[in-house]
Amino acid sequence: MQRMVLATTAMALTLAAASAQDTLPQAGSQWYTDGEATLAAMLSHQPIVGRAKNVILFVADGNGIATNYATRLYAGQLDGKLGEEHVLPYEAFPNLALVKTYNVNAQTPDSAPTAGAMNTGVKQVFNTINLAPEGAIHDDCASEAANRLKTFAEIVSEAGKAVGIVSTARITHATPAAVYAKTANRNWEGDVPEGCTDSKDIATQLIDQMNAGVIDLAFGGGRRYFLPADVTDGEGKKGRRKDGQNYVDAMTKAGGQYAWNTETFKALNLDGSTPVLGLFEDSHMKYEADRDPAEEPSLEDMTRAAISYLANNEGGFYLEIEAGRVDHANHDGNAYRTVTDGVEFAEAVAAGDELTADEDTLIIVTADHEHAIALNGYCGRGSPILGLCYDVAKGQLKHSDELVLAADGKPYTVIGYLNGPGAVLKQQEDGTYSGERAELTQEEVTDPEYLQEALIPMSSESHSGEDVALYAKGPMAHLFDGTVEQNYIFHVMNHAVSAD
Amino acid sequence: MDRRQFTFGALAMPALSLAGPAAAADTVRMRDLYNKDLSFSDYAEAHAGERIAVAGFMAPPLKAEATFFVLTKRPLAVCPFCESEAEWPDDILAIYTKRAIVVVPFNVRIVTRGMLELGTFRDPETGFLSRVRLADASYDRA
Repeated sequence: MQRMVLATTAMALTLAAASAQDTLPQAGSQWYTDGEATLAAMLSHQPIVGRAKNVILFVADGNGIATNYATRLYAGQLDGKLGEEHVLPYEAFPNLALVKTYNVNAQTPDSAPTAGAMNTGVKQVFNTINLAPEGAIHDDCASEAANRLKTFAEIVSEAGKAVGIVSTARITHATPAAVYAKTANRNWEGDVPEGCTDSKDIATQLIDQMNAGVIDLAFGGGRRYFLPADVTDGEGKKGRRKDGQNYVDAMTKAGGQYAWNTETFKALNLDGSTPVLGLFEDSHMKYEADRDPAEEPSLEDMTRAAISYLANNEGGFYLEIEAGRVDHANHDGNAYRTVTDGVEFAEAVAAGDELTADEDTLIIVTADHEHAIALNGYCGRGSPILGLCYDVAKGQLKHSDELVLAADGKPYTVIGYLNGPGAVLKQQEDGTYSGERAELTQEEVTDPEYLQEALIPMSSESHSGEDVALYAKGPMAHLFDGTVEQNYIFHVMNHAVSAD
Repeated sequence: MDRRQFTFGALAMPALSLAGPAAAADTVRMRDLYNKDLSFSDYAEAHAGERIAVAGFMAPPLKAEATFFVLTKRPLAVCPFCESEAEWPDDILAIYTKRAIVVVPFNVRIVTRGMLELGTFRDPETGFLSRVRLADASYDRA
C-alpha cells in the first residue's frame, strides 16, 4: 500500500515536472535535464526494508566533508575531468546523513571513542574504547572492569555472523580496535601499565576474540605488537611485546592462517574454514602513494579478499574496513597522500559494492571525524586541487591562466590547513614565531612531499569537530537521514540485522 | 642576513665553496636515493662515496651538542593520535656533520651536503641503525 502511494505521487510529480519543462527557457540545458534525471531516479527509489544479512562499515579516518571534497576533485582530475563534476562511488548511494562526531567530553573528537560509538551505540570518552561513558576515565585501568560494553561484533557473532576487520593502520589502532577491544587507553596496543592486572593490551584482546570465535579475519599493519621483543619479523623489524608472547606462532599452531606480505596474502585459503590474520607491516601499512604492490596488498585487495572469505558464512557477516591513513596524511599536512589514500578508499568501496547485493547487504560509508583542512577561493573550474588557485575565466568552463594573488601579491594553493607542520610562522632562534608566505610555484606545490600552508604552527595538524557525511545503501539504509549523532550508526546496523 | 643564517653559512663553507648555493640544480630529494621497495636507487649506487647534496628536513635531534641528525623527506610531525612513541619513517637519511649541529626547526627545508655512504651501520655512541648516510656533512637552509 505504501509503495502504491509513493508510486502515484511520483507519477503526479513527474507529470507536473514534464509540463513545466516545456515552458522554461532553461529546459534544454544539460544541467536542467540532468537535474530532471536525478529527480526521476529519486522518485523511483524504493527503500529496502528487509533484514540485512551482511553489514559493511567503511570508515575513511579523518575523511570529513572538506577532505572528501578534495579526494573527489583529485579523482576526477585523474580521470581527465575538470574535477568538480566527478562522483565518487559512494556519493551515488541513495541515502545520506550528516554525523555529529564529538566525544562525551571532547568538542574535537579522537578516533577511539568515535569508532567505539559506531560499534556499541553509545558515545564515549576521549582516548578510550568501548567503555561506558558514565564511568570510564582515560588512562585509568581501574575504570575498565565495571564499564566494558558489548560490541556489535559480539552481538552479531552470537547470532551466527562472521566478523572481519580491515585497516591500513595498525590493526591495534583506534578504529579497528573498536571492533573488538575495550580499553581505558587507546595507546595500550602491546602492553598495559604495571598493576593493571585486570586489563589486557589491545593485541591480546584481538587474539582472545579470534580464539573465542568472535573475530574471524583481520588484515592490517601492526605486526610489532604480536611478536616478542627478541623476534625479528620477515622485514627485519623486531617485535615489541615485553611478555614474550608470540601470537603469530600461537595463531598458526592453533590452525589459523597468517600472512605478512603480498606473496603470503595471495596464498591464503579464503574458504572461511580457519581464522585469518594478516599483518603486512611492522607499524602502519604504507601510504598508497608509497606502496610497492609486490610487498603489500592495497586496501582494495584486502577488501576483496575479506569479502570473498566472509561470504562463505551462511549466516552473513559484519565487516569494518578502515582507510586509516587519510587521517595520517592530513596530520602531516600533506594533501597529496590524503587524496591518494582517499582514492584507494573509493576503490575499496566500489569493490565492496560490486561483490555484494543491495538486497541483503547494508553498506555504510563514513568518516570518524574531520580535520582542520579548508579550501581557498575563488578558483576557476578545474584548478588543480593539489595546486595553485587559478582565476575564474569569464564565460568559459575552465579556469583562466592567471593565478589568483593574495594581498601579499603571492599565489596560494586551493587546499590549506588551519594548523600543522606547514605553518607559515616558523620558530626563530629566540623561540618566537614569525615568517612570510613563500613565492609558490605550481611545480613546488604539486610535489608529492609538499605541505600545504597552515596558519597556526603545530607539530601535527589536528582533527576538527565539524560534521562528517554518511552514505548508505541496502537494507534499512533509508534510516540514515538528517543530522544524527555518531552512536546512531550502531542502532541502524543493529536494527538492520534483526529486522523482521 | 640574520645571525642564524650567518652561522649556517660559516658551518657550510667548506662544502659550499665547491657546491655553490644551497638549492643548486645538483640537489636531489630523498626519494632519489630510494626505490619504492627501499632498495637503493641507481643514483645512490652510482654516487656512493661521492659528495652529494640532498634536500629535506632536520628531524628534532636526539640530543644536544651532537654531530648527528636525521634528514626526513617531509617535516617529521609528531602526531599523538597516530603514534604512542616516536616513529622513524623507513626512508630517512642519517647525517654525520663536521661540526656540532645548530638545530633548524623541523619544518624548515634544508639542503645537506656530504659523502654518501651506503650499507648498514650502527652508531656505537647512540645505537642508531642506518642504511644510508651523509658523512662529513654540512647543511644550510634551502
